[in-house]
Amino acid sequence: MFQTFFGRFGKAFLGMLLAISVAAAIYGCVAQSFDGRPVSRNWSDGDTATSPGSFSQAPSNGVPVPSKIPFKDGRAMAGESALPSRDEELWVIEKPSSEAVPPLAGDDQQPGSGVLMATPPGEQTLTPVPLKHTDVKASVAGYIATVEVTQRFQNPYDGKIEAVYVFPLPHNAAVNEFVMTVGQRTIRGIIRQRQEAERIYNAAKSQGYVASLLTQERPNIFTQSVANVEPGKAIDISIRYFHTLAYVDGWYEFVFPMVVGPRFHPSGSSQGVGAVPRGQPGTSHQAAEVQYLRPSERSGHDISLSLHIAAGVKIEEVQTRTHQVSIKNTPAGQAEIVLDDKDSIPNRDFVLRYKVAGQAIKSCVMVQRDPKRRDGKSGYFTLMLYPPQSLADLPRKPLEMVFTIDVSGSQTGAPLAQEKTAVRYALTHMGPQDTFQVIRFGNTAEKLFANPVPANEQYVAQALRYVDALEAGGGTMLVDGVHASLLFPHDPKRLRFVAFMTDGFIGNDEEALREVHNCLDQSRIFSFGVGSSTNRYLLEGMARMGNGAAAFLGLHDDANEVMGKFFERISHPAMTDISVDFGTIGATEVFPQRLGDLFVGRPVTITGRYSGDGRQTIRVHGNIGNEAAIIEIPVDLNDASATRDGIAAVWARTKLADLADRSSYEAVGDLAGQIRQVALEYGLISSFTAFVAVDASAKTTGDHGTTVGVPAPVPEGVRYATTVIPNQQ
Amino acid sequence: MIRPTKYRLPCGRRSVVVVLVFCSLLSLGIAALVHGQDSVRGQTESAATAVASRFGWVDVYIDAPQQSLAAYQFEFAAEVGQVNVVGIEGGDAAAFKAPPYYDTHAMHHNRVILAAFSTGADLPLGHVRVARVNIEIRGDVKPQYVARLQASADAEGTTISKAAISLTEGSAQ
Repeated sequence: MFQTFFGRFGKAFLGMLLAISVAAAIYGCVAQSFDGRPVSRNWSDGDTATSPGSFSQAPSNGVPVPSKIPFKDGRAMAGESALPSRDEELWVIEKPSSEAVPPLAGDDQQPGSGVLMATPPGEQTLTPVPLKHTDVKASVAGYIATVEVTQRFQNPYDGKIEAVYVFPLPHNAAVNEFVMTVGQRTIRGIIRQRQEAERIYNAAKSQGYVASLLTQERPNIFTQSVANVEPGKAIDISIRYFHTLAYVDGWYEFVFPMVVGPRFHPSGSSQGVGAVPRGQPGTSHQAAEVQYLRPSERSGHDISLSLHIAAGVKIEEVQTRTHQVSIKNTPAGQAEIVLDDKDSIPNRDFVLRYKVAGQAIKSCVMVQRDPKRRDGKSGYFTLMLYPPQSLADLPRKPLEMVFTIDVSGSQTGAPLAQEKTAVRYALTHMGPQDTFQVIRFGNTAEKLFANPVPANEQYVAQALRYVDALEAGGGTMLVDGVHASLLFPHDPKRLRFVAFMTDGFIGNDEEALREVHNCLDQSRIFSFGVGSSTNRYLLEGMARMGNGAAAFLGLHDDANEVMGKFFERISHPAMTDISVDFGTIGATEVFPQRLGDLFVGRPVTITGRYSGDGRQTIRVHGNIGNEAAIIEIPVDLNDASATRDGIAAVWARTKLADLADRSSYEAVGDLAGQIRQVALEYGLISSFTAFVAVDASAKTTGDHGTTVGVPAPVPEGVRYATTVIPNQQ
Repeated sequence: MIRPTKYRLPCGRRSVVVVLVFCSLLSLGIAALVHGQDSVRGQTESAATAVASRFGWVDVYIDAPQQSLAAYQFEFAAEVGQVNVVGIEGGDAAAFKAPPYYDTHAMHHNRVILAAFSTGADLPLGHVRVARVNIEIRGDVKPQYVARLQASADAEGTTISKAAISLTEGSAQ
């Protein structure tokens, strides 16, 4: 009977069960794909989102990509305008081929404008970009700079866009103001916790509102995002910051960085700032990216800059070797400097130095009263502490010199030539009691000698030949260079000074700083930033952690002169073991918490809070050689001429930097919480806070458009082929 | 010698294979179905917990009936509803066109304190819009706003005793 059943109906029954099984399996797989997780992922910060059912000109490679309607609450939002926000997923039916990098063509003008640009032979192709102009207005009072940067974003395409621009600011900039201008209306942005600011921005973007977001990737790298910029419309973003100027060998130095150099990332890292060719976002797999123009391309983005200096004393000389400027000296210790129109391509740092009258520059204090305290007897101060003149009269001890030279790909050409010139000078100016070592680093680190050798004629000649033969190429394993420079036995009869030469184009800055701190022992690190747009955050940090000083060797600087000043500096003993007695000022929360040595020509800036008034005396104690020394600094807290805006912001910024520094080598309890609290209290951008502004008065039509990264030129002197393309491998 | 007995299944060897295959497929299909439903349920649940937001604005007016307004400070809050300030604009009068400043400490303790002053000559008199506060509203509850005028003064720094503050709301939706 059983056999009869299966015999008669078995096949039909089996076939039916088989069909049901297959159908269930298919439906189950499809249901899984419709739960919001993409089957194939084609999304990153730079990706597009388009109106349902349309083809988009994806900026990643110009290949049209049909987009899938997003899901919300488990239902397809077909025909609705609720488009995915930045942190939602967007799936595609077809994934564009990752190998399909289209050749440059006249119509490679994203996003799908179809504009053809005729380019005369030998000239660069003008590439439309959504950043039209940057205007910088700076003023300096004493050694505090107030800078306002206005970026004009203008949509040159025929569709709505989101513009994303990664750009640099000074690493010690206290950014505390953010204003968006839409047409005739000006909207002040709000500082918020970073995640909250990003959520607000994404919500506003997805709903069609004009919105802007400023986030910090590194202390000297920021990302500006502007959403829903309609065709032909302009949105201005103004950022204001304060910072202290450096004082270097008799000159005050004002620096405005203009472009982020292409960074190298060791394998396995993902939290860096990637360097990708224009039109290829997402290919570096780093948390943030800079798109770079090819050498044959140029953008219309230009920059204007004006600087007003109120030195308080007569200005003896003003110089800049990086740009063409006009300089007007007005009476009473002021000067007006304006960048020449013909020098407005933002592909190198603007560096201006000025010298003031008076041989004996004295330590001085500037204050800002706390507006929240009605008694007027408390506030914030900065103290620029100059080394005593007597340091220059004392002989130096024998040194163990280590010359560490970056020979990575970004140093190809002019930067390496500058390094060689500087090291040649140094090799021929050492003392007879000195010893030395030469180290090169790129993909690996290599020492010339097994151990440091005497600075005699034979070894110096050998080293000169070695340096002359150096060639650049490959990655930047800077941490290997740090280890090679520090991790060998210390000569107790000599001071080890490491002259570390690099542009600092790495993505693992914090690891490098941690290793400097951990490996330093009795050494001193003098970092030399070589190039037109160096990573000053890293270089100043290495000097700070390394208890030394930083110097910068631009492509147009005299390498012999810079190295000569370095030798002058190290040829005299420093004031060491420094402590500051603030007397009855009631100083608290003084930063940096750890003071480095005081070298000839290099003052140290200290900032803190005070409570008190009237005339006071600050005493700085230290050792010069084996002798105790004291510097006395008279202060008048009621002196109106010593009052400056922005000191509270500078203090808060310095506190944030100190927290971040310490976190690289010690466990700081709830670092994120501490940074967030200070940053929110003082309205400063930080790694855990961001500025956001939304114009809720009007909605733009259509979806939130295409995301377009603003590409930048590679810094002057840096070769595209050895820095941007290799990062894609 | 004992020969092993071959047991012949009722439907033959081929049918055994087919049975095994469809049982496997059936199992897979059921498993996928269950997982898919769970995923959809999970996605539905996470979507439900995400709070919807919308945007709008609140215009702030100050009435200075007898003295020209040179400076003001007011506190603004939502007594009902979850509201975030996402941008601050100035008002209609030229003297207060620039966006006012906000107290960062208050902003992050659930209060907004805005202030502005003008040293210009063209100071407004009477009913004037001094600021627009762009806001994000989260959830379905309709917010209820309050504003308290903390200070108002004329060009001589004299307090404007009869100044009053009022609000209107709007949105682009």
